[in-house]
Amino acid sequence: MLKIKNLHVNYNGLSALSGVNLDVEHSQFISVVGPNGAGKTTLFKAISGTVDVAEGSIKFKGEDLIKVKPTDRPHLGIAHVPEGRQVFSDLTVRENLEMGAITKAGRMNWKENLLFINTIFPILEQRSKQLAGTLSGGQQQMLAISRAIASSPDLILFDEPSMGLAPSVADQIFEQIVSMHKIKRLTVLLVEQRAIEAFENCDAGYVLETGRVAMHGLRDELLANDRIRNAYFGF
Amino acid sequence: MKKNVVKSHLIILTGFISVFFVSMLFINNQYYQLMMTLVLIWSVMGISWNIICGYTGLASFGHAAFFGIGAYTVALGLLNWGITPWVGIILGSMIGSIMAFLIGWPTFRLKGQYFSLAMLAYPLAILHVFEWLRYQEVALPMIRDNPSAYMQFEDNRVYTAIGLVFFAIAMIVAIKIETSRFGLSLQAIKQNEIAARTAGVNVLYWKLKAISISGALAGMIGGFYATIILIVTPQSAFGMMTSAQALIVTLFGGIGAAWGPVIGSAILIPLSETLHAEFGEYLPGISGIVFGLAIIIIILVAPEGIYWKVYDYFHKKSKFDKPLRNGSEEFTPTYINQKIDEFGTSPIILNVKNLTKRFGGISAVQGLSFSIPKGTIVGVIGPNGAGKTTLFNLFNMIYKPDLGSIKFDGQELVGMPTHNITRLGIGRTFQVVRVFNRMTAVKNVVVGAFCVTDDDVQAEKMARDAIELVGLKHLSDEVVSTFSSLELRLLEIARAIASKPKLILLDETLAGLGLNETEQVLQVIAKLRDNGITIVIIEHTMKAMMRLVDRFIVLDHGVVLLEGRPDEVINDPRMIEAYLGQKWSMSRAQN
Amino acid sequence: MELSIEAQVLLETIVQALVNGISVGCLYGLMCLGLGLIFGIMRVINFAQGDFMMLGMYAAFYAFGGFSLSKILGQSIGPIVAALVAGPVIYTFGILMHRILISRVSGLSAATMENDGHNAQLILTLGIGLVLQNTGHIIFGSSPVSIRSPLSTTAWEIVIIRDQVSVIVNQARLISGLIAVAIAAVLSWFIFHSIIGKSARAAANNITASIYMGIDVDRCHRIFFGLGAGVTAIAGGLLALYYPFQPYVGMEFIIVMYTGVVLGGLGSIAGAFWGGLIIGIIQQMSTLILPNQLQNTATFFVFLLIIFFRPNGIFGKTTERA
Repeated sequence: MLKIKNLHVNYNGLSALSGVNLDVEHSQFISVVGPNGAGKTTLFKAISGTVDVAEGSIKFKGEDLIKVKPTDRPHLGIAHVPEGRQVFSDLTVRENLEMGAITKAGRMNWKENLLFINTIFPILEQRSKQLAGTLSGGQQQMLAISRAIASSPDLILFDEPSMGLAPSVADQIFEQIVSMHKIKRLTVLLVEQRAIEAFENCDAGYVLETGRVAMHGLRDELLANDRIRNAYFGF
Repeated sequence: MKKNVVKSHLIILTGFISVFFVSMLFINNQYYQLMMTLVLIWSVMGISWNIICGYTGLASFGHAAFFGIGAYTVALGLLNWGITPWVGIILGSMIGSIMAFLIGWPTFRLKGQYFSLAMLAYPLAILHVFEWLRYQEVALPMIRDNPSAYMQFEDNRVYTAIGLVFFAIAMIVAIKIETSRFGLSLQAIKQNEIAARTAGVNVLYWKLKAISISGALAGMIGGFYATIILIVTPQSAFGMMTSAQALIVTLFGGIGAAWGPVIGSAILIPLSETLHAEFGEYLPGISGIVFGLAIIIIILVAPEGIYWKVYDYFHKKSKFDKPLRNGSEEFTPTYINQKIDEFGTSPIILNVKNLTKRFGGISAVQGLSFSIPKGTIVGVIGPNGAGKTTLFNLFNMIYKPDLGSIKFDGQELVGMPTHNITRLGIGRTFQVVRVFNRMTAVKNVVVGAFCVTDDDVQAEKMARDAIELVGLKHLSDEVVSTFSSLELRLLEIARAIASKPKLILLDETLAGLGLNETEQVLQVIAKLRDNGITIVIIEHTMKAMMRLVDRFIVLDHGVVLLEGRPDEVINDPRMIEAYLGQKWSMSRAQN
Repeated sequence: MELSIEAQVLLETIVQALVNGISVGCLYGLMCLGLGLIFGIMRVINFAQGDFMMLGMYAAFYAFGGFSLSKILGQSIGPIVAALVAGPVIYTFGILMHRILISRVSGLSAATMENDGHNAQLILTLGIGLVLQNTGHIIFGSSPVSIRSPLSTTAWEIVIIRDQVSVIVNQARLISGLIAVAIAAVLSWFIFHSIIGKSARAAANNITASIYMGIDVDRCHRIFFGLGAGVTAIAGGLLALYYPFQPYVGMEFIIVMYTGVVLGGLGSIAGAFWGGLIIGIIQQMSTLILPNQLQNTATFFVFLLIIFFRPNGIFGKTTERA
């Protein structure tokens, strides 16, 4: 579904991504892992279009994404759960979801998606009229994820969903992401700092280090490999 | 070198004035004579605006306040007390300056848009007060006896000549400011006020100085204006159009350049006045339209004004804009850290106790306590959002802590203004580097040295030393617009060490660099350490840090997770857990 | 209850000022709401807002006279409709302005500019204002005009205490005030309940997330710039019923508008309306103690007070990010 070839992205005059190749097939769960500054968020920014691509191609369902305006890309079926949640703090929980659902598919499947969201995150239904800015970190993460689901996407990008959350809360979130993938057969691209959480449930994964793919492979290979630690700590 | 720049400015100035003077002698039409004087008046007003806005980057619509006060001082002075404008203008200038100072002092506390809005309000408020005081139309009385002693002349061209004198004064002031540390400090403030503070610039002092001079010039020329138009009304003195016109001629001609206002004035005033004379009957608002269109076109096409557009055209140097690539060449990495074993033996230079800072209920850092010995290299690491940059901002007192103390060389830093901390000996780099694009490396770096020396010659020497230390000596006199990202990073370090600090805070200096570039920067850091500077660095690139630091301080969720030697920290399960997650540590522990 | 003559007069004067203040304040509220919309959604300082109002006043004037609304709808309803007609006309003008000029220094393209493009916006809108004022001068002439209607010359008497205290309310002022409130209410509903309104608020709240959601940020900005212009234009059209105006009238109200918006809180759309209302009341109440020309100075005084001591206003959020 998503084919990234030889991606080069420059940020502030530096090379943020250097020749990255990445593939996500339909219904797959792909994880991307790596230390800070490795380029994980830049990768997502390139997919969503908030950063310019210097070289290379990004193809989504065969279509060249680089030619598509950033604000049009979600309407193609790509949902992005941003780093740091980025909920609309001045809007209510319900309104945040409505914002997610402005895509055509989102509007068509609104009732169904809303039911699903309320099932996996019942607390959101309870707080439907509350301003999103008053929710806790974990609840905001649930909202950000639900907002993405409301758009009825084909592909969901999760950018460091565990960041800033207490470990137990982060675990909950991960569980939901995994079950979401299983139940709805959603295609997932997950970026994380926490290696095991990311690789435990994936089909395949990538390790990024200073803008390059240091290694990639199937789940079991990755879990066993200490190269990951090398990517983080240098040995 | 600087002498040459000043000299060339002065030569051009003399040339301009001579040409202006000579052409004036040939003009016999009264209307055009008046126009020439107006060009000079608005040039001076523009220069006045330029000083506080063009160089400093503060948008102010308030200059009419100082201009108007000058005008009324002369008008009322002559009318009520028989004070000759020769004296009245000087008085007006002084009053304008004092008023500017008094207005500036509280208003500088305001940020961005609020500052502009406040400055807008002052002249309009004063306008209403003057209307209320019944100063609707104050006419300068005609003096029959010895009119020239009261600045009243038959021949309009005398006024133009006097105008030239005021113009010369204003230009000399502008040139002096631009080519001195005054101008550089103002530019630094414009670039990034916070970074300027950490470079040791006393922001409030320079802003007040700038607005006082600005007020003096505006008051002076406002007084002169009164003698030209002979009737002073609140609208013409304090009205929006007065401030707007000063802004427009400067922006059009070239903001932040001594020659900008006169270029704008020389083009727009004759244009609008001539159009008004020719078509004013059927198109009464034509001059306003000219100014409006001029500003719209300029802001879209050449946002900094004509002067800079032309300047850039003639100074076009292609930047070799290849971004840094990650070099994959093999090389033997050297180990820079020297004090791992003797860490505790040097005296403590920075002592942090129980440091806490909250932002709206969330603790960014909590109860931090640690000490840093002299001459060592300490790395502050931790996952995203751990509080590292907040810590640095606390060191510089960009934030004030809620609890705790920071002692530098025995002196308590909490509550000290940022620029004084720099003066004490703490330098700082920032992640996003902002430079004076059109200036040389030396000019960019020298700002950092101003806080420790009043001598400009010495400051330049310190700047050059700093540039040499970071390995950019061959680029000292090159314009920085041609610099690569790595060179800009090194330049940022040079600015931070220009004041010869005792300790330097490096904020993610290695981010995004390739292997070779990283090595280069590490060598520079080693040199800094060899020169006796203590180094505290925030970084993510663990591999490089392992070779660099004597100690790690690991922050996580705002608290010190652990502290220790690199080899110990790296193997500490808590550290691994913080980065790679709990499950990773657990799974490894099982094997 | 029998009141002494002095008490009657005092009470009457105070209540009169209050009633005047509220009716004028409602109009100011609508005026400020227009500016508040633009600032609240786009964070653009629009110096030409007063001149959009001026255009609205002339649009209403010509709709009433030139386009014979006076003949079709009569002298009393005609002016009201004319004022409302000014809305869509200036809305369209606002949309054009945004498309051609404003969008170049705001929104997505301005994210990379110095200061987020704030200085450029100030200056660009200053230029637009100058052009509008002076073109207006050429086209409309400089003699003050106003919409003649019996509404402006008749008044109702409202009795507070029988035979003792009553206030006079000018019909034009009262009706304008009421309509202003109605429009503000309709607009509020629109902003808070329509999808476009929510999208625009989302875009104002968090531009990055908006892009990720696929919200067309530029379109939201454009529509709201137009709305802001149109709303202030309607306020102008209503004002035209009793306030003589000329092409430079915008300048007289620019400080009122900014004070109202700042008082309400920069960034709060609803706050802008309340801010305008309060300013109207303060202005009228100040006539009780201050001489006529200093009325406006009272406004400045309030303005500076707020900026220095409570820059967030009543409902504002901190718009300056660290």
